[in-house]
Amino acid sequence: MVICERISIKERREPLNEFLEWAVTTPLQVEVISIWIITGLIIALVFAVNHAIKKADVMAKPTGFVLLGVLIVQTFSTITRDNMGKNNASGYAPYIGALALFLLFSNISGLFGLAQPTANYSVTLTLALISFVLIQRAVFKTNGFVKYFTRLFEPYPVFFIMNFFGAVAPLVSMSLRLFGNITGGTIIMMLFYTFTGYISGFIPVIGQFDFIGPLVAPFLHAYFDLFVGFIQMYVFISLTTVFVANELPSETETT
Amino acid sequence: MDIARGLIAIGAGIAVLTGTMTGAGQGYAAGKAVEAVGRNPEAESKIRSMLILGAAIAETAAIYGLLISFLLLFVYQ
Repeated sequence: MVICERISIKERREPLNEFLEWAVTTPLQVEVISIWIITGLIIALVFAVNHAIKKADVMAKPTGFVLLGVLIVQTFSTITRDNMGKNNASGYAPYIGALALFLLFSNISGLFGLAQPTANYSVTLTLALISFVLIQRAVFKTNGFVKYFTRLFEPYPVFFIMNFFGAVAPLVSMSLRLFGNITGGTIIMMLFYTFTGYISGFIPVIGQFDFIGPLVAPFLHAYFDLFVGFIQMYVFISLTTVFVANELPSETETT
Repeated sequence: MDIARGLIAIGAGIAVLTGTMTGAGQGYAAGKAVEAVGRNPEAESKIRSMLILGAAIAETAAIYGLLISFLLLFVYQ
């Protein structure tokens, strides 16, 4: 009787129900929640800047959120223009700016007690995949459909292996670089806290409280979270722009 | 079992040795950047961004070694 009921329930399962059950029962990775928080913060920032700009007086000196928005847009469009040239930059600057904001927030988020999204390989692989698609799109646009495939076999057909791995290499190297830097910093900080806890355990009365860690940790946090996070953000967006600009047709040097 | 644990630790140590050559390469790049700034001081900002980019690319090998050592230490318990 019980077996019959079970079979009938199993037969009634539909793909949607199975998906919903899977979605409810599978635990979320911690990084997903910090991605939600960071994305919400960025969206709130964008809406605040938009609201402030609509209200702002055009002739007056920009202050507060307006100034912040102007600075962000100016910085990233300058970086993109320096790396890609004036004509190519206009389409790519918004993506580069959004990518930079997300990477910066997520690299620094370790300081605020969130699990860093970039310490998860899925996130960095996804970001590198977007850059890879942008690079391939640039190749496609410059060379056309036929040349896109034939250029893999240049100068000799044997070179296909090398050209293929040359095309795929940015995907691996960009994602692993970001992931390795952030994860390395996290693990080194974890080892450091364990070590200082072990050392302060020898002191009799107050040994339960790890008081050596908070004295030395700020410098390490400044290096591993702020400095490395900023540098890796800069390197990621620079590499994306440089790789894409390499494949686009070079601009006529009129200056 | 203890011997296996010790061999894993030795392997992790060897994997981290990739950092030595990376240090040499980054130092060479930094020295060349200083030379370039001395020769052409107006191009300082451009040279700095190129130096950061080159140093980060050179660092990739060391990061691979670090990742492999972490894998050895934390995955093969």
